[in-house]
Amino acid sequence: MAPDSVVLDVKDVRQKLGGKQILDGVTFQVHDRVRPGTTTGQVTGLLGPSGVGKTRLLRLIAGLDAPDQGEILGPEGTPMPVGSVGVVFQNYILLRHRTVLGNLLAAGTANGMPRREAEEQARALLSRFGLADRADYYPAQLSGGQRQRAAIAQQLVKQKLFLVLDEPFSGLDSAALENVIELFSRIAHNHEDQTLIIITHDIRAAMMVSDTLLLLGRDHDTSGKIASGARIQEQIDLVAEGLAWREHVELDPKFVALERSVKARFARL
Amino acid sequence: MNRTALDAVLPNRVIDPGIALGLVAAWVALGIAVWFLSPFATLPTPGQVGAALGDLWLHAGLAQELFTTLRLILHSLAWTVVIALLLSYATVLPAVRPLVGAVSKLRFLGLTGLVIPFTLMTGGGYDLKVALLAFGMTTYFVTAMAQVVADIPRDQFDHMRTLGAGELRILWEVVILGTADKALDILRQNLAIGWTMITMVEGISRAEGGLGAVILNENKHFKLPEVYAIMVLILLVGLVLDYGMGLLSRTVCPYAELDRVRR
Ligand SMILES: Nc1ncnc2c1ncn2[C@@H]1O[C@H](COP(=O)(O)OP(=O)(O)OP(=O)(O)O)[C@@H](O)[C@H]1O
Ligand SMILES: [Mg+2]
Repeated sequence: MAPDSVVLDVKDVRQKLGGKQILDGVTFQVHDRVRPGTTTGQVTGLLGPSGVGKTRLLRLIAGLDAPDQGEILGPEGTPMPVGSVGVVFQNYILLRHRTVLGNLLAAGTANGMPRREAEEQARALLSRFGLADRADYYPAQLSGGQRQRAAIAQQLVKQKLFLVLDEPFSGLDSAALENVIELFSRIAHNHEDQTLIIITHDIRAAMMVSDTLLLLGRDHDTSGKIASGARIQEQIDLVAEGLAWREHVELDPKFVALERSVKARFARL
Repeated sequence: MNRTALDAVLPNRVIDPGIALGLVAAWVALGIAVWFLSPFATLPTPGQVGAALGDLWLHAGLAQELFTTLRLILHSLAWTVVIALLLSYATVLPAVRPLVGAVSKLRFLGLTGLVIPFTLMTGGGYDLKVALLAFGMTTYFVTAMAQVVADIPRDQFDHMRTLGAGELRILWEVVILGTADKALDILRQNLAIGWTMITMVEGISRAEGGLGAVILNENKHFKLPEVYAIMVLILLVGLVLDYGMGLLSRTVCPYAELDRVRR
Protein backbone atom coordinates (compact mmCIF):
# COMPACT_ATOMS: atom_id res chain seq x y z
CA MET A 1 0.00 0.00 0.00
CA ALA A 2 1.33 3.43 -0.88
CA PRO A 3 2.35 5.57 2.07
CA ASP A 4 -0.34 7.89 3.34
CA SER A 5 -3.06 6.17 1.37
CA VAL A 6 -6.56 6.34 2.78
CA VAL A 7 -7.77 3.18 4.50
CA LEU A 8 -11.13 4.56 5.58
CA ASP A 9 -13.00 7.38 3.91
CA VAL A 10 -16.16 8.58 5.61
CA LYS A 11 -17.89 11.13 3.42
CA ASP A 12 -20.69 13.38 4.60
CA VAL A 13 -22.57 10.63 6.39
CA ARG A 14 -26.07 11.49 7.62
CA GLN A 15 -28.58 9.46 9.56
CA LYS A 16 -31.96 10.40 10.93
CA LEU A 17 -33.60 8.34 13.67
CA GLY A 18 -37.01 8.86 15.19
CA GLY A 19 -37.34 12.19 13.39
CA LYS A 20 -34.04 13.47 14.80
CA GLN A 21 -30.94 14.13 12.78
CA ILE A 22 -28.38 12.05 14.71
CA LEU A 23 -25.42 12.06 12.32
CA ASP A 24 -25.26 15.31 10.43
CA GLY A 25 -22.48 15.24 7.86
CA VAL A 26 -19.80 13.11 9.50
CA THR A 27 -16.62 13.33 7.44
CA PHE A 28 -13.16 12.00 8.20
CA GLN A 29 -10.38 9.88 6.80
CA VAL A 30 -8.06 7.33 8.33
CA HIS A 31 -4.66 7.27 6.68
CA ASP A 32 -2.21 4.44 6.49
CA ARG A 33 0.53 4.96 9.05
CA VAL A 34 4.05 4.09 8.06
CA ARG A 35 7.17 3.85 10.21
CA PRO A 36 10.30 2.64 8.47
CA GLY A 37 11.47 -0.64 9.94
CA THR A 38 8.42 -1.16 12.18
CA THR A 39 5.14 -2.80 11.37
CA THR A 40 2.56 -0.15 12.15
CA GLY A 41 -1.16 -0.43 11.99
CA GLN A 42 -3.64 2.40 12.50
CA VAL A 43 -5.46 3.21 15.72
CA THR A 44 -8.13 5.89 15.72
CA GLY A 45 -9.76 6.94 18.94
CA LEU A 46 -13.31 8.20 18.41
CA LEU A 47 -14.38 10.36 21.34
CA GLY A 48 -17.77 11.81 22.00
CA PRO A 49 -20.28 12.39 24.76
CA SER A 50 -22.94 9.84 25.59
CA GLY A 51 -25.85 9.71 23.18
CA VAL A 52 -24.08 11.69 20.47
CA GLY A 53 -24.19 8.88 17.90
CA LYS A 54 -20.96 6.89 18.28
CA THR A 55 -22.62 3.49 18.27
CA ARG A 56 -24.79 4.47 15.31
CA LEU A 57 -21.67 5.52 13.40
CA LEU A 58 -20.02 2.21 14.30
CA ARG A 59 -22.99 0.32 12.88
CA LEU A 60 -22.64 2.23 9.63
CA ILE A 61 -18.89 1.56 9.40
CA ALA A 62 -19.53 -2.14 10.11
CA GLY A 63 -22.10 -2.24 7.30
CA LEU A 64 -24.92 -3.25 9.67
CA ASP A 65 -26.98 -0.20 8.69
CA ALA A 66 -26.90 2.02 5.64
CA PRO A 67 -26.61 5.81 6.00
CA ASP A 68 -29.42 8.02 4.69
CA GLN A 69 -26.81 9.94 2.80
CA GLY A 70 -23.07 9.89 2.20
CA GLU A 71 -20.75 6.92 1.90
CA ILE A 72 -18.15 4.96 3.77
CA LEU A 73 -15.32 3.49 1.72
CA GLY A 74 -12.71 0.95 2.77
CA PRO A 75 -9.08 0.53 1.68
CA GLU A 76 -10.12 -0.58 -1.80
CA GLY A 77 -12.16 2.56 -2.29
CA THR A 78 -15.37 0.55 -2.11
CA PRO A 79 -17.90 0.05 0.70
CA MET A 80 -16.93 -2.71 3.10
CA PRO A 81 -19.54 -5.48 3.23
CA VAL A 82 -20.92 -6.59 6.57
CA GLY A 83 -18.72 -9.36 7.93
CA SER A 84 -15.50 -7.79 6.70
CA VAL A 85 -15.31 -5.42 9.65
CA GLY A 86 -14.84 -6.98 13.07
CA VAL A 87 -17.05 -5.44 15.74
CA VAL A 88 -16.74 -5.73 19.49
CA PHE A 89 -20.05 -4.48 20.81
CA GLN A 90 -20.52 -2.33 23.87
CA ASN A 91 -21.88 -5.30 25.86
CA TYR A 92 -19.44 -7.98 24.64
CA ILE A 93 -21.96 -10.24 22.92
CA LEU A 94 -21.13 -13.94 22.84
CA LEU A 95 -23.20 -17.00 21.96
CA ARG A 96 -24.49 -18.04 25.36
CA HIS A 97 -25.13 -21.63 24.28
CA ARG A 98 -21.53 -22.23 23.31
CA THR A 99 -18.39 -22.48 25.40
CA VAL A 100 -15.59 -19.97 24.95
CA LEU A 101 -13.84 -22.32 22.56
CA GLY A 102 -17.16 -23.06 20.84
CA ASN A 103 -17.73 -19.34 20.35
CA LEU A 104 -14.38 -18.96 18.62
CA LEU A 105 -14.96 -22.07 16.51
CA ALA A 106 -18.36 -20.77 15.42
CA ALA A 107 -16.72 -17.51 14.39
CA GLY A 108 -14.28 -19.46 12.21
CA THR A 109 -16.77 -21.82 10.61
CA ALA A 110 -19.30 -19.01 10.04
CA ASN A 111 -16.68 -17.61 7.71
CA GLY A 112 -16.28 -20.90 5.89
CA MET A 113 -12.95 -21.67 7.58
CA PRO A 114 -12.23 -25.42 7.82
CA ARG A 115 -12.91 -26.65 11.35
CA ARG A 116 -9.36 -27.80 11.96
CA GLU A 117 -7.91 -24.47 10.98
CA ALA A 118 -10.50 -22.68 13.10
CA GLU A 119 -9.60 -24.81 16.10
CA GLU A 120 -5.88 -24.15 15.72
CA GLN A 121 -6.50 -20.46 15.41
CA ALA A 122 -8.97 -20.46 18.30
CA ARG A 123 -6.62 -22.26 20.69
CA ALA A 124 -3.76 -19.95 19.78
CA LEU A 125 -5.94 -16.90 20.47
CA LEU A 126 -7.15 -18.30 23.78
CA SER A 127 -3.57 -18.75 25.02
CA ARG A 128 -2.64 -15.33 23.78
CA PHE A 129 -5.59 -13.79 25.63
CA GLY A 130 -5.00 -15.75 28.83
CA LEU A 131 -8.17 -17.76 28.38
CA ALA A 132 -6.69 -21.21 27.69
CA ASP A 133 -7.95 -22.54 31.03
CA ARG A 134 -11.41 -21.11 30.38
CA ALA A 135 -11.89 -22.76 26.97
CA ASP A 136 -14.69 -24.98 28.26
CA TYR A 137 -16.51 -22.31 30.25
CA TYR A 138 -19.81 -20.87 29.12
CA PRO A 139 -20.05 -17.07 28.76
CA ALA A 140 -22.20 -16.93 31.91
CA GLN A 141 -19.22 -18.28 33.88
CA LEU A 142 -16.77 -15.57 32.81
CA SER A 143 -15.76 -12.42 34.62
CA GLY A 144 -16.36 -9.10 32.86
CA GLY A 145 -12.75 -8.84 31.73
CA GLN A 146 -12.61 -12.44 30.53
CA ARG A 147 -15.83 -11.91 28.62
CA GLN A 148 -14.39 -8.86 26.95
CA ARG A 149 -11.23 -10.71 25.90
CA ALA A 150 -13.31 -13.64 24.62
CA ALA A 151 -15.44 -11.24 22.55
CA ILE A 152 -12.32 -9.63 21.08
CA ALA A 153 -10.67 -13.00 20.43
CA GLN A 154 -13.83 -14.15 18.65
CA GLN A 155 -13.52 -11.29 16.19
CA LEU A 156 -9.88 -12.17 15.51
CA VAL A 157 -10.38 -15.82 14.54
CA LYS A 158 -10.73 -14.77 10.97
CA GLN A 159 -8.23 -12.03 10.36
CA LYS A 160 -9.96 -8.79 9.50
CA LEU A 161 -8.12 -5.64 8.64
CA PHE A 162 -10.76 -3.53 10.33
CA LEU A 163 -11.76 -3.85 13.93
CA VAL A 164 -14.21 -1.47 15.59
CA LEU A 165 -14.55 -1.54 19.36
CA ASP A 166 -17.40 0.12 21.23
CA GLU A 167 -16.44 1.32 24.72
CA PRO A 168 -13.79 -1.32 25.31
CA PHE A 169 -12.45 0.48 28.40
CA SER A 170 -15.61 0.61 30.44
CA GLY A 171 -15.61 -1.19 33.76
CA LEU A 172 -11.86 -1.87 33.86
CA ASP A 173 -9.63 -1.13 36.85
CA SER A 174 -6.38 0.70 36.13
CA ALA A 175 -4.26 -2.47 35.88
CA ALA A 176 -6.75 -4.13 33.53
CA LEU A 177 -6.90 -0.90 31.52
CA GLU A 178 -3.11 -0.95 31.00
CA ASN A 179 -3.38 -4.57 29.87
CA VAL A 180 -6.14 -3.85 27.39
CA ILE A 181 -4.26 -0.86 25.96
CA GLU A 182 -1.20 -3.06 25.58
CA LEU A 183 -3.36 -5.75 23.94
CA PHE A 184 -4.83 -3.29 21.43
CA SER A 185 -1.36 -2.02 20.55
CA ARG A 186 -0.23 -5.56 19.88
CA ILE A 187 -3.27 -6.29 17.71
CA ALA A 188 -2.90 -3.04 15.78
CA HIS A 189 0.82 -3.31 15.12
CA ASN A 190 0.73 -6.96 14.18
CA HIS A 191 0.00 -6.13 10.58
CA GLU A 192 0.78 -3.11 8.44
CA ASP A 193 -2.80 -2.88 7.14
CA GLN A 194 -4.57 -3.41 10.46
CA THR A 195 -6.89 -0.61 11.50
CA LEU A 196 -8.57 -0.23 14.87
CA ILE A 197 -11.28 2.26 15.63
CA ILE A 198 -11.79 2.58 19.33
CA ILE A 199 -14.95 4.30 20.49
CA THR A 200 -14.79 5.63 24.00
CA HIS A 201 -15.31 8.51 26.35
CA ASP A 202 -12.11 7.69 28.21
CA ILE A 203 -9.92 10.48 26.83
CA ARG A 204 -6.72 9.41 28.52
CA ALA A 205 -6.96 5.75 27.45
CA ALA A 206 -7.81 6.82 23.91
CA MET A 207 -4.78 9.11 23.79
CA MET A 208 -2.50 6.36 25.08
CA VAL A 209 -3.39 3.87 22.39
CA SER A 210 -4.28 5.98 19.34
CA ASP A 211 -2.35 7.72 16.60
CA THR A 212 -5.38 9.85 15.72
CA LEU A 213 -8.17 11.30 17.83
CA LEU A 214 -11.56 12.22 16.45
CA LEU A 215 -14.01 14.27 18.43
CA LEU A 216 -17.62 13.64 17.51
CA GLY A 217 -20.00 16.29 18.76
CA ARG A 218 -22.86 18.65 18.01
CA ASP A 219 -22.72 22.33 17.17
CA HIS A 220 -24.06 24.76 19.73
CA ASP A 221 -25.46 28.21 19.12
CA THR A 222 -24.35 31.24 21.07
CA SER A 223 -26.77 30.52 23.90
CA GLY A 224 -25.32 27.02 24.26
CA LYS A 225 -28.29 25.21 22.75
CA ILE A 226 -27.65 22.20 20.50
CA ALA A 227 -27.83 23.41 16.93
CA SER A 228 -27.13 20.33 14.83
CA GLY A 229 -26.64 16.59 14.72
CA ALA A 230 -23.25 15.07 15.31
CA ARG A 231 -20.23 15.69 13.13
CA ILE A 232 -16.48 15.51 13.56
CA GLN A 233 -15.56 18.65 15.47
CA GLU A 234 -11.85 18.07 15.63
CA GLN A 235 -9.22 15.67 14.36
CA ILE A 236 -5.96 15.49 16.29
CA ASP A 237 -2.88 13.86 14.79
CA LEU A 238 -0.99 12.41 17.75
CA VAL A 239 1.92 11.42 15.49
CA ALA A 240 2.44 15.02 14.48
CA GLU A 241 2.23 15.98 18.15
CA GLY A 242 4.94 13.40 18.91
CA LEU A 243 2.60 11.58 21.24
CA ALA A 244 2.05 8.31 19.41
CA TRP A 245 3.79 4.93 19.68
CA ARG A 246 5.62 5.78 22.87
CA GLU A 247 5.86 3.92 26.10
CA HIS A 248 4.79 5.89 29.17
CA VAL A 249 3.66 8.70 26.91
CA GLU A 250 1.08 9.59 29.55
CA LEU A 251 3.89 10.96 31.75
CA ASP A 252 4.94 13.51 29.11
CA PRO A 253 3.84 17.03 30.15
CA LYS A 254 2.75 17.62 26.57
CA PHE A 255 0.42 14.64 26.83
CA VAL A 256 -1.00 15.97 30.06
CA ALA A 257 -1.56 19.40 28.55
CA LEU A 258 -3.27 18.00 25.46
CA GLU A 259 -5.41 15.73 27.61
CA ARG A 260 -6.54 18.76 29.58
CA SER A 261 -7.42 20.74 26.46
CA VAL A 262 -9.29 17.81 24.89
CA LYS A 263 -11.19 17.40 28.14
CA ALA A 264 -12.17 21.08 28.08
CA ARG A 265 -13.26 20.80 24.45
CA PHE A 266 -15.16 17.61 25.23
CA ALA A 267 -17.09 19.31 28.01
CA ARG A 268 -18.53 21.75 25.49
CA LEU A 269 -19.63 19.11 22.94
CA MET B 1 -23.82 -15.00 56.75
CA ASN B 2 -24.43 -18.39 58.32
CA ARG B 3 -27.34 -20.32 56.97
CA THR B 4 -29.75 -21.61 59.54
CA ALA B 5 -33.09 -23.37 59.54
CA LEU B 6 -34.60 -20.00 60.41
CA ASP B 7 -33.78 -18.78 56.88
CA ALA B 8 -36.55 -21.01 55.55
CA VAL B 9 -39.17 -18.66 56.95
CA LEU B 10 -37.43 -15.42 55.98
CA PRO B 11 -37.90 -13.99 52.51
CA ASN B 12 -35.26 -14.35 49.76
CA ARG B 13 -32.86 -16.52 51.72
CA VAL B 14 -30.66 -19.32 50.43
CA ILE B 15 -31.19 -22.57 52.31
CA ASP B 16 -29.12 -25.75 52.52
CA PRO B 17 -30.14 -28.64 50.26
CA GLY B 18 -30.69 -30.77 53.38
CA ILE B 19 -33.14 -28.27 54.80
CA ALA B 20 -34.85 -27.96 51.41
CA LEU B 21 -35.38 -31.72 51.38
CA GLY B 22 -36.67 -31.61 54.93
CA LEU B 23 -39.16 -28.94 53.88
CA VAL B 24 -40.49 -31.13 51.08
CA ALA B 25 -40.83 -34.09 53.48
CA ALA B 26 -42.66 -31.90 56.00
CA TRP B 27 -45.14 -30.66 53.39
CA VAL B 28 -45.77 -34.20 52.10
CA ALA B 29 -46.36 -35.40 55.67
CA LEU B 30 -48.74 -32.51 56.26
CA GLY B 31 -50.61 -33.35 53.06
CA ILE B 32 -51.00 -36.99 54.05
CA ALA B 33 -52.07 -36.01 57.56
CA VAL B 34 -54.76 -33.72 56.14
CA TRP B 35 -55.91 -36.55 53.92
CA PHE B 36 -56.15 -38.97 56.90
CA LEU B 37 -57.97 -36.49 59.04
CA SER B 38 -60.23 -35.22 56.29
CA PRO B 39 -63.81 -34.70 57.43
CA PHE B 40 -65.15 -35.44 53.92
CA ALA B 41 -66.71 -38.86 53.96
CA THR B 42 -66.56 -39.08 50.16
CA LEU B 43 -62.77 -38.92 50.22
CA PRO B 44 -61.40 -42.46 50.23
CA THR B 45 -58.65 -43.12 52.74
CA PRO B 46 -55.06 -43.59 51.56
CA GLY B 47 -55.42 -47.28 52.40
CA GLN B 48 -58.46 -47.70 50.14
CA VAL B 49 -56.76 -45.85 47.31
CA GLY B 50 -53.60 -47.93 47.68
CA ALA B 51 -55.61 -51.14 47.61
CA ALA B 52 -57.56 -49.99 44.55
CA LEU B 53 -54.32 -49.11 42.76
CA GLY B 54 -52.85 -52.54 43.49
CA ASP B 55 -56.02 -54.25 42.36
CA LEU B 56 -56.28 -52.27 39.12
CA TRP B 57 -52.63 -52.86 38.36
CA LEU B 58 -52.67 -56.60 39.04
CA HIS B 59 -56.12 -57.62 37.83
CA ALA B 60 -57.55 -54.94 35.56
CA GLY B 61 -54.55 -54.43 33.24
CA LEU B 62 -53.80 -50.88 34.36
CA ALA B 63 -50.20 -51.23 33.17
CA GLN B 64 -51.50 -51.86 29.65
CA GLU B 65 -53.78 -48.81 29.87
CA LEU B 66 -50.88 -46.70 31.08
CA PHE B 67 -48.81 -47.86 28.14
CA THR B 68 -51.65 -46.97 25.73
CA THR B 69 -51.86 -43.48 27.17
CA LEU B 70 -48.11 -42.90 27.18
CA ARG B 71 -47.89 -44.01 23.58
CA LEU B 72 -50.65 -41.60 22.59
CA ILE B 73 -49.08 -38.71 24.44
CA LEU B 74 -45.59 -39.27 23.07
CA HIS B 75 -46.87 -39.78 19.54
CA SER B 76 -48.86 -36.54 19.69
CA LEU B 77 -45.96 -34.73 21.32
CA ALA B 78 -43.65 -35.77 18.48
CA TRP B 79 -46.03 -34.23 15.95
CA THR B 80 -46.43 -31.15 18.10
CA VAL B 81 -42.69 -30.60 18.35
CA VAL B 82 -42.16 -30.90 14.62
CA ILE B 83 -45.09 -28.71 13.57
CA ALA B 84 -44.76 -26.10 16.31
CA LEU B 85 -41.00 -25.69 15.95
CA LEU B 86 -41.22 -25.37 12.18
CA LEU B 87 -43.94 -22.74 12.52
CA SER B 88 -42.06 -20.86 15.24
CA TYR B 89 -38.75 -20.79 13.38
CA ALA B 90 -40.60 -19.76 10.24
CA THR B 91 -41.59 -16.53 11.98
CA VAL B 92 -38.19 -15.16 10.93
CA LEU B 93 -39.98 -14.74 7.58
CA PRO B 94 -42.36 -11.80 7.94
CA ALA B 95 -44.70 -13.40 5.39
CA VAL B 96 -45.42 -16.33 7.72
CA ARG B 97 -46.09 -14.32 10.89
CA PRO B 98 -49.86 -13.81 10.34
CA LEU B 99 -50.34 -17.55 9.83
CA VAL B 100 -48.45 -18.37 13.00
CA GLY B 101 -50.37 -15.73 14.90
CA ALA B 102 -53.60 -17.33 13.72
CA VAL B 103 -52.50 -20.82 14.80
CA SER B 104 -51.64 -19.42 18.20
CA LYS B 105 -55.10 -17.86 18.58
CA LEU B 106 -56.75 -21.22 17.86
CA ARG B 107 -55.98 -22.27 21.43
CA PHE B 108 -59.15 -20.43 22.46
CA LEU B 109 -61.21 -22.91 20.46
CA GLY B 110 -60.88 -25.79 22.88
CA LEU B 111 -61.01 -29.35 21.63
CA THR B 112 -64.58 -30.51 22.16
CA GLY B 113 -66.07 -28.73 19.17
CA LEU B 114 -63.35 -30.05 16.92
CA VAL B 115 -64.15 -33.70 17.43
CA ILE B 116 -66.51 -33.98 14.48
CA PRO B 117 -64.44 -32.20 11.82
CA PHE B 118 -61.33 -34.06 13.01
CA THR B 119 -63.21 -37.37 12.89
CA LEU B 120 -64.17 -36.67 9.30
CA MET B 121 -60.57 -35.84 8.47
CA THR B 122 -58.86 -38.71 10.27
CA GLY B 123 -61.47 -41.41 10.18
CA GLY B 124 -61.60 -41.56 13.97
CA GLY B 125 -59.90 -43.94 16.38
CA TYR B 126 -56.26 -43.60 17.35
CA ASP B 127 -55.47 -41.14 14.56
CA LEU B 128 -58.25 -38.84 15.71
CA LYS B 129 -56.84 -38.78 19.22
CA VAL B 130 -53.34 -38.06 18.00
CA ALA B 131 -54.64 -35.28 15.79
CA LEU B 132 -56.73 -33.71 18.56
CA LEU B 133 -53.95 -33.81 21.12
CA ALA B 134 -51.32 -32.60 18.68
CA PHE B 135 -53.62 -29.76 17.67
CA GLY B 136 -54.29 -28.75 21.25
CA MET B 137 -50.63 -28.83 22.25
CA THR B 138 -49.42 -27.16 19.05
CA THR B 139 -51.52 -24.06 19.64
CA TYR B 140 -49.90 -23.60 23.06
CA PHE B 141 -46.43 -24.55 21.93
CA VAL B 142 -46.51 -22.13 19.01
CA THR B 143 -47.75 -19.33 21.23
CA ALA B 144 -44.84 -19.69 23.63
CA MET B 145 -42.15 -20.54 21.11
CA ALA B 146 -42.97 -17.82 18.58
CA GLN B 147 -42.66 -15.37 21.46
CA VAL B 148 -39.23 -16.77 22.35
CA VAL B 149 -38.11 -16.31 18.74
CA ALA B 150 -39.55 -12.79 18.63
CA ASP B 151 -37.70 -11.93 21.84
CA ILE B 152 -34.23 -12.77 20.53
CA PRO B 153 -32.35 -9.47 20.81
CA ARG B 154 -31.46 -7.89 17.51
CA ASP B 155 -27.85 -7.65 18.73
CA GLN B 156 -27.54 -11.42 18.47
CA PHE B 157 -28.26 -11.31 14.74
CA ASP B 158 -25.94 -8.36 14.17
CA HIS B 159 -23.20 -10.05 16.15
CA MET B 160 -23.30 -13.12 13.90
CA ARG B 161 -23.39 -10.90 10.83
CA THR B 162 -20.21 -9.15 11.90
CA LEU B 163 -18.60 -12.57 12.20
CA GLY B 164 -19.38 -13.11 8.53
CA ALA B 165 -22.19 -15.63 9.00
CA GLY B 166 -24.82 -15.97 6.28
CA GLU B 167 -28.51 -15.71 7.12
CA LEU B 168 -29.00 -19.48 7.12
CA ARG B 169 -26.14 -19.99 9.52
CA ILE B 170 -27.62 -17.24 11.69
CA LEU B 171 -30.98 -19.02 11.63
CA TRP B 172 -29.28 -22.20 12.82
CA GLU B 173 -27.01 -20.61 15.41
CA VAL B 174 -29.14 -17.86 16.89
CA VAL B 175 -32.74 -18.91 16.26
CA ILE B 176 -32.52 -22.70 16.52
CA LEU B 177 -29.53 -23.51 18.77
CA GLY B 178 -29.76 -20.26 20.70
CA THR B 179 -33.31 -21.00 21.87
CA ALA B 180 -32.93 -24.76 22.36
CA ASP B 181 -33.05 -24.48 26.14
CA LYS B 182 -36.28 -22.48 25.99
CA ALA B 183 -37.78 -24.92 23.48
CA LEU B 184 -37.10 -27.74 25.93
CA ASP B 185 -38.69 -25.75 28.75
CA ILE B 186 -41.79 -25.16 26.64
CA LEU B 187 -41.87 -28.82 25.64
CA ARG B 188 -41.85 -29.65 29.33
CA GLN B 189 -44.83 -27.36 29.97
CA ASN B 190 -46.58 -28.78 26.93
CA LEU B 191 -46.23 -32.30 28.14
CA ALA B 192 -48.13 -31.22 31.25
CA ILE B 193 -50.79 -29.50 29.14
CA GLY B 194 -51.16 -32.62 26.98
CA TRP B 195 -51.44 -34.72 30.13
CA THR B 196 -54.39 -32.63 31.30
CA MET B 197 -56.17 -33.07 27.92
CA ILE B 198 -55.82 -36.83 28.03
CA THR B 199 -59.05 -37.62 29.86
CA MET B 200 -61.11 -35.63 27.41
CA VAL B 201 -59.40 -37.05 24.34
CA GLU B 202 -59.43 -40.67 25.47
CA GLY B 203 -63.06 -40.32 26.44
CA ILE B 204 -64.03 -39.79 22.81
CA SER B 205 -63.70 -43.44 21.95
CA ARG B 206 -63.21 -45.51 25.02
CA ALA B 207 -62.85 -48.79 23.19
CA GLU B 208 -59.14 -48.26 22.77
CA GLY B 209 -58.67 -47.78 26.48
CA GLY B 210 -56.05 -45.67 28.14
CA LEU B 211 -56.05 -44.03 31.56
CA GLY B 212 -58.56 -41.40 30.48
CA ALA B 213 -61.08 -44.03 29.40
CA VAL B 214 -60.60 -46.03 32.60
CA ILE B 215 -61.10 -43.01 34.82
CA LEU B 216 -64.32 -42.10 32.99
CA ASN B 217 -65.63 -45.67 33.35
CA GLU B 218 -64.84 -45.84 37.05
CA ASN B 219 -66.40 -42.40 37.47
CA LYS B 220 -69.62 -43.61 35.93
CA HIS B 221 -69.80 -46.47 38.44
CA PHE B 222 -68.94 -44.11 41.25
CA LYS B 223 -65.91 -46.17 42.25
CA LEU B 224 -64.11 -43.37 44.02
CA PRO B 225 -61.08 -45.29 45.36
CA GLU B 226 -60.37 -46.47 41.80
CA VAL B 227 -60.77 -42.94 40.42
CA TYR B 228 -58.38 -41.56 43.02
CA ALA B 229 -55.97 -44.43 42.40
CA ILE B 230 -55.79 -43.52 38.72
CA MET B 231 -55.41 -39.87 39.58
CA VAL B 232 -52.49 -40.73 41.84
CA LEU B 233 -50.97 -42.77 39.02
CA ILE B 234 -51.45 -39.92 36.52
CA LEU B 235 -49.83 -37.56 38.98
CA LEU B 236 -46.88 -39.87 39.63
CA VAL B 237 -46.26 -40.60 35.95
CA GLY B 238 -46.58 -36.89 35.20
CA LEU B 239 -43.98 -36.14 37.85
CA VAL B 240 -41.62 -38.78 36.48
CA LEU B 241 -42.00 -37.40 32.94
CA ASP B 242 -41.48 -33.87 34.20
CA TYR B 243 -38.37 -34.92 36.08
CA GLY B 244 -37.07 -36.70 32.97
CA MET B 245 -37.63 -33.59 30.88
CA GLY B 246 -35.80 -31.48 33.43
CA LEU B 247 -32.90 -33.92 33.39
CA LEU B 248 -32.83 -33.88 29.59
CA SER B 249 -32.82 -30.12 29.47
CA ARG B 250 -30.01 -29.87 32.05
CA THR B 251 -27.94 -32.38 30.11
CA VAL B 252 -28.47 -30.92 26.65
CA CYS B 253 -28.36 -27.26 27.70
CA PRO B 254 -26.15 -26.98 30.80
CA TYR B 255 -25.70 -23.26 30.15
CA ALA B 256 -29.36 -22.51 30.82
CA GLU B 257 -28.92 -23.28 34.51
CA LEU B 258 -26.04 -20.77 34.70
CA ASP B 259 -28.23 -17.89 33.62
CA ARG B 260 -30.77 -18.50 36.33
CA VAL B 261 -30.21 -16.19 39.20
CA ARG B 262 -29.64 -18.12 42.39
CA ARG B 263 -30.91 -16.32 45.38
N1 LIG C 1 -33.53 3.11 17.06
C1 LIG C 1 -33.45 4.39 17.42
N2 LIG C 1 -34.51 5.23 17.23
C2 LIG C 1 -34.43 6.53 17.58
N3 LIG C 1 -33.36 7.09 18.13
C3 LIG C 1 -32.27 6.32 18.35
C4 LIG C 1 -32.26 4.93 18.01
N4 LIG C 1 -31.07 4.42 18.34
C5 LIG C 1 -30.36 5.43 18.88
N5 LIG C 1 -31.08 6.57 18.87
C6 LIG C 1 -30.63 7.88 19.36
O1 LIG C 1 -29.45 8.18 18.68
C7 LIG C 1 -28.54 8.84 19.53
C8 LIG C 1 -27.19 8.22 19.42
O2 LIG C 1 -27.21 6.91 19.94
P1 LIG C 1 -25.86 6.07 20.09
O3 LIG C 1 -26.22 4.75 20.63
O4 LIG C 1 -25.12 6.11 18.82
O5 LIG C 1 -25.08 6.94 21.21
P2 LIG C 1 -23.58 6.76 21.71
O6 LIG C 1 -22.83 7.94 21.25
O7 LIG C 1 -23.07 5.43 21.34
O8 LIG C 1 -23.78 6.87 23.28
P3 LIG C 1 -23.09 6.03 24.48
O9 LIG C 1 -21.74 6.60 24.68
O10 LIG C 1 -23.98 6.35 25.64
O11 LIG C 1 -23.08 4.60 24.09
C9 LIG C 1 -29.13 8.78 20.93
O12 LIG C 1 -29.54 10.05 21.31
C10 LIG C 1 -30.27 7.83 20.82
O13 LIG C 1 -31.36 8.26 21.61
MG1 LIG D 1 -22.73 3.69 22.35
